[in-house]
Formats: sequence, structure tokens, C-alpha cells
Amino acid sequence: MNRKYSTKMLKEAGQGYFFMSPTIFVLLLFILGPIFYAIFLSFHNVRLLGDTAFDFVGLANYERVFDDRRAGIALWNTFKYVVIVVPCQTVLAIVLAATLNAGMKGEKFFRIIYFLPTLTSSAVLTLIFMWMYNREGLVNFGLEKIGLPTYDFLGDPNVALTAIMVMNIWATAPFFMVIYLAALQDIPDSLYEAAELDGAGPIRKFWSITVPHLKPITSFVVIMGVIGTFQLFDQSYIFSGGSGGPDNSTLTVVLLIYQYAFKSMNTMGYAAAIAFVLAIVILVSTLIQRKLQKEENLY
Amino acid sequence: MEKKWFASVSMSLLLAGSVLAGCSSDNGGEGESGDSDGKTTVTLAGWGGNPTEQELLEQTLADFEEKNPDIDVKLEVIADQYMDVMKTRLIGGEGPDVFYLDAFEAPAMIESGVLEPLDNYVTEDFDVADFEEPLLDAFKQDDITYGFPKDYSTLALFYNKTMFEEAGVEVPTTWEEMMEVSKTLTKDGVYGFGVAPELARQYYVAESLGGKVVEDNQANFGADQVIEALQPVIDQHNVDKTSAQPSEVGASSGGDMFGQQRAAMVLEGNWNIPYLEETFPDLEYGTAEVPTINGEKGTMAYTVAYVMNAASEKKEASWKLIEYLTGKEGMETWTSKGYALPTRKSVAESSGFAEDELRGSLVAGAEYATVWANGSNLPIITNNFNNQFISAFLGDRPLDEALKEAEEQANSEIGSE
Repeated sequence: MNRKYSTKMLKEAGQGYFFMSPTIFVLLLFILGPIFYAIFLSFHNVRLLGDTAFDFVGLANYERVFDDRRAGIALWNTFKYVVIVVPCQTVLAIVLAATLNAGMKGEKFFRIIYFLPTLTSSAVLTLIFMWMYNREGLVNFGLEKIGLPTYDFLGDPNVALTAIMVMNIWATAPFFMVIYLAALQDIPDSLYEAAELDGAGPIRKFWSITVPHLKPITSFVVIMGVIGTFQLFDQSYIFSGGSGGPDNSTLTVVLLIYQYAFKSMNTMGYAAAIAFVLAIVILVSTLIQRKLQKEENLY
Repeated sequence: MEKKWFASVSMSLLLAGSVLAGCSSDNGGEGESGDSDGKTTVTLAGWGGNPTEQELLEQTLADFEEKNPDIDVKLEVIADQYMDVMKTRLIGGEGPDVFYLDAFEAPAMIESGVLEPLDNYVTEDFDVADFEEPLLDAFKQDDITYGFPKDYSTLALFYNKTMFEEAGVEVPTTWEEMMEVSKTLTKDGVYGFGVAPELARQYYVAESLGGKVVEDNQANFGADQVIEALQPVIDQHNVDKTSAQPSEVGASSGGDMFGQQRAAMVLEGNWNIPYLEETFPDLEYGTAEVPTINGEKGTMAYTVAYVMNAASEKKEASWKLIEYLTGKEGMETWTSKGYALPTRKSVAESSGFAEDELRGSLVAGAEYATVWANGSNLPIITNNFNNQFISAFLGDRPLDEALKEAEEQANSEIGSE
């Protein structure tokens, strides 16, 4: 094809790019630039401290990811975390939203109460939860009172990750609840009225009207949830003091990237390679999910 | 580790830290502009201590400035993740002129070439031979000195006097006695012995039977002698059930566990003395040398040095600062309150800490202590050791299996660098 641009069109386009230039500049500098730099790093053996050196090593950094047992553990931990946290927080969010939308008394009050965890910084939340998870803290006190076994949540590798999961579900569900609440306003009352005339109870209405109508929102919530949970870092960092311990049980992929980038010397390139592996994992899981969602679209 | 003593204040410093981090980028500029009025500004960076320590340091610096009117010292306190901040700043060319460096991190920093060799600056008056040799050796590579230790601490046995009296037992001097005494002392939620299951604290135990934890800069802690030496630590926790790590009793550190009277004995360092004084003033306790293993004395020593940035533009002034701070006079002021132990023999003698009731056993340990530093790969080795040792400590898997696997992992990480 041979398209010709008139002077006017070019002028207009130039004007357009001129107006966009601040944004383009920011995008290049802070988003695209670092991405390309990270790609560059991932193919090199990087020495930053002292005499800076970049040795091209081809795919060696990527090959190393598959030999690294700690990388395997980190991926597995992260995978477990995603598979448990995402469904739980989505279900919890939808249930919370539905109950808040049912027209009870004090709805606004509960809306605020439920939303509070999301407003708190995750670092502060983690510190508070670490107090509660203490061997003699509130959680164990409660477990003991109702006759359940108590745990050393911070020191026992078998329960440490679960402790972080519970904390995160509790903290993120309300955020998605708000999104669901907004979507619930869009479901026409006439549908519920019609269902009532047909003799449907509240549970039937929830399953047959609310859930199907929220499907596009659920898709969004799950994708955001998957992306967010794959990037788990701050909670496990604070929980383990940066080590990913006890016994690698709270080691997540991003924490591992951090350790290789900043803790051990000269492994910045390897850290960049892991970051790209993670990006690909997230991309693939999002694509799979979109595919599944499309097949049973409501509209 | 030895930085535990500042954990209690780190929360409050966190706020200050964020402010400092925000300002740090323009330090370079400020430093240079400081030259215009004829004064040289030297930046000194370190991590924070408790308020009394901070005062001591400020006083030492004020004395230095008085003696050297042409030099201004700018103190920067890095509250958290000290090494991360330091490495990043050195990479960015914004490093301070003089900074603290832990012996544990020293070999890797020396290898990277960011530290200035100090031998050429040293004068006879400085008297290098006065330093405790093992402590100074931690900052040497190929006979070149890159830092002078500012202070150190060893580990000693802290024991709860009240509990010992009630149980009617003697302070143990051998490891076997310690295990026996622990059995008597363990009752009603109190453990006989508080243990830190990490390499920084167990290194001398691991090497007590002649095995080497690190060999040729590679992990070697899967060796039979090392496993055999560490087995009693595991057995005391899982078979005797007379020891516990801090998190098992809801404590944040060994000192906290001891202070809350959940453990009758702990192995801690000098930092624990002011901590207990401030947090648990009513506690009746004493210190003794670390119990002997197979008749051999042993303990750990942790030391921190002042080092100079090789990229510094004010090397002469920087050296003057290091010379004063690690010199007899500066060290005397800095260690005067006993928050840190002096690394110079002459200062140690004049301070009288060797006769001190609480600090005597810590000073005694300096002679036979293992300095916590060994090659540039120790951080990787430690990380892998700690991760697997804890699973053996909690009884999830046998010690030999755990350590052999950790050794393999550590060496594969080292090998692929």
C-alpha cells in the first residue's frame, strides 16, 4: 500500500505527538527504558560494584533458572499462594458485596468497616499480624480457647506461608468487594422481581442472577488477583526478615529476585532473567484465563 | 547477629530512615559545596545504635572536629538494610567517604575493589600492632589492610541467677554440664537454654570437632565432623526438649527470651547488657564464658571496621577521621560506656573491662574466639545453612540429610557465579 500524507495530516499528527510528548517521555524513561535495560541485563553477567563490567553470556542466566533449586521452591511457593489466595479472595469479595447489597440496616457502616484493611499499608498490616501470629499472640490464644492446636506461625516452615495467605486474603478481599458492589448496582431489579414471581429464593437468585451477571467483573478481579499474588513480596519480606525462611517456606519469586539483585554480589543479570521468567508465567496464566473466560461469555 | 542490639530502636529509626533516604541523593553535591569555605566535609555513614551510643559517637566526632578545625564530619545514619543502601550508593558513585563495614561482608567488598587500601596512610604513631590480631585480619586480604576494627563483641553465657539458685545448680563450664543443667532448669514453660539456630551463632560449635564449614571459599558444612558437632544442638531441642529458639516462646530475640525469663541461659554478646538494663532492669543475671566443647574453649567474635571509599575525593581528610576514630583517644571515648568493646589492647587494658563483672567473660573470649568472617561466599553459604538447619532443628528431617542438601545448593549457587 502506498499511502500519501498531506501536509495538513502531518501537521496534525505532529501536533498530536507534541501534546503527548510529556507522557511519551515519562513512558520511555520510566517504563520502556527499564524494561529494555532489564532485557539487556538478563543476557549478561553483570558486575556493578567496583569496576563495572557486562559480559555477554547468552542464555546462560535463563538456563540457570531451571537448575536453581531455590528458584524451583520460590516458583512452587508462589504457585501455591496464587492457587489458594485468588479463589478465596474472589469468593469472599463476592459474598461480602452481596450481603452488603442486600439492603440491611447499617449497610454504610459495614461498608466502611470492611474496607478499612485495604486502606492500611501492607507493611503495617504485616507487622500487626506478626504480633497476632506470635507464639503467645492473639491467634494462638483464640485457637487454644476453642481447643485447637497452637502453632509457631513465624518459626514453623509448615504454617508460615499459610499465615501469610490468610493475612492477604483478609486484606485484599475488601478491595475487590468494592468493585463488585459497583457492579451489583447495574443488575436491574426487574430480574430479581421476575425471579421472585417464579418463586426463587435468595440463594437461587444469587446463583442464577447475581453470579452470571458479575462474570465480566469476576474475570477482571481474577486477572488482577493473579497478577497481584504472583508479585507477592512485601509481606513475605517482612515476615522472614528478607531471608524467605524458615526453611525457604516464605520464599517467593520476587523475594528471590530481590535477593539475587541486592544481597549477593554480581547476580544482577540472573535476577533480571528470573524477573522475565516470572513475567512470562504471569502472561501465560492470564492468557489461559482469558481463553477460559471467553468460552462461556454471558453476552 | 551482632546488629540485633539495635533492633529495638530500629522501629523509631525507620521514620528517620525514610527521610534520610530521600535526601541521600544530593549528599555528593553538598559535600563538594562544603569545600568553598575552606573546610573539607567528610561523610561518615553507619547504622544507628541506641541513643547513648549515638551520643558517644557524636561526642567522639565533636572531639575530632575540635582537633581538626579544617574538617567537618557529616554523620549519616542508615537505619535499615545497611548493606543494600551502601552497595547501591557505591555503584551510583554517591558513596560516603568513610563507612562501617561488618567483617562478614568485608571479603566480597574488598574483592570488588571499592575499598581504599589503608597501609600507605598508616604512620608509626598509629601503632597497628596494638589491635587484636584476629579482628584486624578479618579486614585484610593478601596482607593489605582495608579497614581498622572499631569495636567487637564475643558471645558469653548469660544465666538467670534467680533460676539457678532456685534449682540449686552450678553455672556450667562444659557443654555436657550445660545440657544436664538445662534438664533441671526446664519447667513451667521455661526452657533451660535459649538457642539461635543460625550459622552466625553456631559456627564455632560446627567447627569444634575439626570439621570446616567453609573450605576454599566453598560450603563444606555437610562434612561428617561438622554434622557430628552440631547434632547435640539438635538433640537438645528435639530429644531432651530443654532448649528453644526465641520464636517458640513468642520472643523476638535471644535477649528478649532471656529477659522475659523464658530461658534460663542464652549465649549473647555485649549488646545484650545495655538491652537488658533498659528493658528488663530487675533481672538478676550473670555472665560466664561459653561452656567448653570437648575441653576446648570457643566462642564467636563479631567485629565492625571503619573503611574508606576508594572513590572518595577527600582521602587525606578521610584517613584523619579513621585514624582518630580507631586511634587510642577516639576509641577510648567511643568505648567508654561499655556499649562496645575496644579492639586495641592498650585501650582494653586501661578501660578495665576485663575485670568488669559482666563484661569480663566477653573480653576473655577474644583470645580464642572465631571471627565471624570467612571469604566472599559466606553470605550465600550462611543463607543456605540457615534455611536447612532450621528444618532439622524443628525435627522435620535428619540433620545430615538437611545439611548435605544445603551444601549442594550453596555450592551450585557459588559455582554458577
